[in-house]
Amino acid sequence: MDIRNEELIEKINQVMAEEFEADPELIRPEAPLMETLDLDSLDLVDVVVLVDNNFGVMLSAQDFSGLKTFQDFYDLISRKMNEKK
Amino acid sequence: MRHALVTGGGRGIGRAICLALARKGYFVSVNYLSGKDSAEETLRLVQEGGGAGDLWPFDVSKREQTNAFAEAWRRKHEGSHIEIIVNNAGIRQDNLMVWMKAEEWTRVMETNLQSFFNVVQPLLLPMLAGKFGRIVNVASLSGLKGMPGQVNYSASKGGLIAATKALAQEVARKDVTVNAVAPGFIATDMTADLDEKELRTLIPAGRFGKAEEVASVVSFLVSEEASYVTGEVISVNGGLYT
Repeated sequence: MDIRNEELIEKINQVMAEEFEADPELIRPEAPLMETLDLDSLDLVDVVVLVDNNFGVMLSAQDFSGLKTFQDFYDLISRKMNEKK
Repeated sequence: MRHALVTGGGRGIGRAICLALARKGYFVSVNYLSGKDSAEETLRLVQEGGGAGDLWPFDVSKREQTNAFAEAWRRKHEGSHIEIIVNNAGIRQDNLMVWMKAEEWTRVMETNLQSFFNVVQPLLLPMLAGKFGRIVNVASLSGLKGMPGQVNYSASKGGLIAATKALAQEVARKDVTVNAVAPGFIATDMTADLDEKELRTLIPAGRFGKAEEVASVVSFLVSEEASYVTGEVISVNGGLYT
């Protein structure tokens, strides 16, 4: 993992914890995203907006299918950002 | 300034809604399909009253056209989004079921019900993200009671009422409300072929309603004051059906 990835992960953790008032200690790569942040399907709207505002990539509903852990989420955003380059 | 979209805003109830919303200070995007002159007259009246708006010709029954509208609107109004949608565009093609053509069924369903999905879906995400929205569907007495000779129209408006109630529950947490009004007999082009003299004997109020009497209810439902009213169907029918 390079430095830029670590920075990205740190930023993702920070914005998610702030937005969803989650304990930052609970946010780990293997932790389940939805349960840890106490999200339901409607909250994904806020996730989409948050990711767009902070990372400049637009997620769609399909992007969330099969997504389980924070690591999956980091990989998704990283991939989307690379696709945009 | 909040931005509103009124479909079928060129005439009748739609025009009255455009004028009522403009008077409340909303920017009104007026959709129409046919009747360019009427739509231009609506916009002229909006502006004459000190309001602001623009015109958007597209067919609400065509998904590709509503998507194109949503894109074009965002480009024109960069940095804003539509916070109020009034789904008013509708048609009736009455016939007894036994004589009804498949096209009469399909056309009415597409314009009155499929249009709800076509128009609302591409505009919903920014509304939810902004945590404010008002969606008002212009249904009908027919959608509540069912009217003979209007199986297609009744089904489309009944479906619209069910969609209103379902979506209201989905999005309530985001401070987006979804309501319907159900007009009875309102004096517009759409009811011009009806025998008012005969029908008004059935109406406790003794007359057809005015478009403005529907618009005033819509105007309330889109206001900040109606923030705790959602999933409701408000009849505007002079007591004809309660």
